[in-house]
Amino acid sequence: MAQNEMLLRVDNLSVAYGHINALKEVNLEVYRVEIVVLIGANGAGKTTLLETSLGINAPQAGVITFKGKTISGVPADRNVRAGLCLVPEGRGVFASMSVLDNLLLGAHHNIKNVGKNLKRVYQWFPRLEERKSQIARTLSGGERQMLAIARALMSAPELIMVDEPSLGLAPIIVNDIFDILVHLNQEGYTILLSEQNAYKSLKCAHRGYVLETGKVTLSGSAAQLLNDPGVREAYIGA
Amino acid sequence: MQVFIAQVINGLSLGSIYVLLATGFNLLLLVAMIIHFAYPQVVVFSMYIAWVVLRYTGNSIVLAVLAAILSSVLLNVISAPLFQKIMKNREEVDINTTMVMSLGIGMIITDILSHGFNKGLPIAFPPKLVGETPILRVGLISLMGGQVASLAVGVIAVSGIFLLLYKTRPGRAFRAIAEDPNGARLVGIPLLRTGLESYALSGILGGLIAVLLAMLLGYSSPGLGEQVAHKVLAVSIIAGLGNLAGGLVVGLALGIMEALVQGYISGSWSNAIAFVVMLLVILFRPRGLFGIKL
Repeated sequence: MAQNEMLLRVDNLSVAYGHINALKEVNLEVYRVEIVVLIGANGAGKTTLLETSLGINAPQAGVITFKGKTISGVPADRNVRAGLCLVPEGRGVFASMSVLDNLLLGAHHNIKNVGKNLKRVYQWFPRLEERKSQIARTLSGGERQMLAIARALMSAPELIMVDEPSLGLAPIIVNDIFDILVHLNQEGYTILLSEQNAYKSLKCAHRGYVLETGKVTLSGSAAQLLNDPGVREAYIGA
Repeated sequence: MQVFIAQVINGLSLGSIYVLLATGFNLLLLVAMIIHFAYPQVVVFSMYIAWVVLRYTGNSIVLAVLAAILSSVLLNVISAPLFQKIMKNREEVDINTTMVMSLGIGMIITDILSHGFNKGLPIAFPPKLVGETPILRVGLISLMGGQVASLAVGVIAVSGIFLLLYKTRPGRAFRAIAEDPNGARLVGIPLLRTGLESYALSGILGGLIAVLLAMLLGYSSPGLGEQVAHKVLAVSIIAGLGNLAGGLVVGLALGIMEALVQGYISGSWSNAIAFVVMLLVILFRPRGLFGIKL
């Protein structure tokens, strides 16, 4: 069944920036239609893992496969075309360009279906349609996060990676964003997200990994992680 | 009054050329992320190519235009890997090194022109190109074919570029890279390949500029590249590096001011304007009159 197909597989991945070892022998799997969350503090290596998977960096060791094909070392634009995308930390929208232009940029590699995708995105995010000619800089933090997610959707991805979606957002807005991610997952999108906010993200995920200074220290179902005393102490404070 | 109008017309045609040069230069700065000091030399080289083609094809203007455009595009595109080889991370260019590299390329081109063509003497374009008789004549005001062409091409080219940037897919990719190269990479825009497209586009502009300069000046020389290069840099700095709209305004304004000085004061002083203004801008508004858009 498609449900169990492995979409992304990270095998023994090591990434270094000069002398700094950002990731050490990381193993991770993401199956179709699940939400997997990567929990870790600042500097744990979450962004490095997502960016290397996308193809921004080449790993020092290890292999990343997407839909069975090796993608480690392949440039990002090829991977985006293959169905992978990243909603970066800090939203990553182009502040000086309009909402519509940002969305069209998301469809850069999928311009054939742009009309269809635009309609769907506007359905999910009516506020973006209202503001479609507005410059992205004038959007609120929550709206910018929505724009970043909507933009990722325009490329018709199969796996959406989201880097710290709750960063800098008010708690109510964070709930909205997580609701959106859950809704997207119900529509069939596979989501890999990284978060410092362990509680809210584990509540909507299926499985999770805990990343600490570049190594995976714990992994399991979301329920297991939520109940793990170490996780509770370090990331939930309960 | 008539001198004034005549000089404004002269100024607009010259200004259009400044605008086109600044636009080509800024495109390379914004999208290819290089400082191409040799861009004007590429243009002058294309003027020479056009001159050669004119000589061997019995003054076929169409062929000369095509040859000029082709030579600019080729020169740009061939130099692209040289510039792109200087990479910081994957897919990013070290902008300071490109400055030095382009200075070198400029010197090489100037040298080739000094030794390879017409024994280094200035070349003259056939008067038919410039237009021997004015299209329009009202007292002291005369409108030459070359001037009209220069203005027309300037307007069309700049509008074309703005249309491209704001209404097309490749234009969006250009703007994305101009604003945030890393963000563009995350959306899957290939930096090097898109950069290459901007080399080609600047090349096309360069070819057009070559023809317009040939029509306006009627001559070319190996040293012309450097003279023009300094002006283009001045226009960019005054407007604000990377500011296309600002380049439009400053280029035209400079052209008109130079023409007015030539008409009312004396020819050689007109060259000083650009640099005096540039000095003032650097002292009092270092980000340029319209702001840096890098």
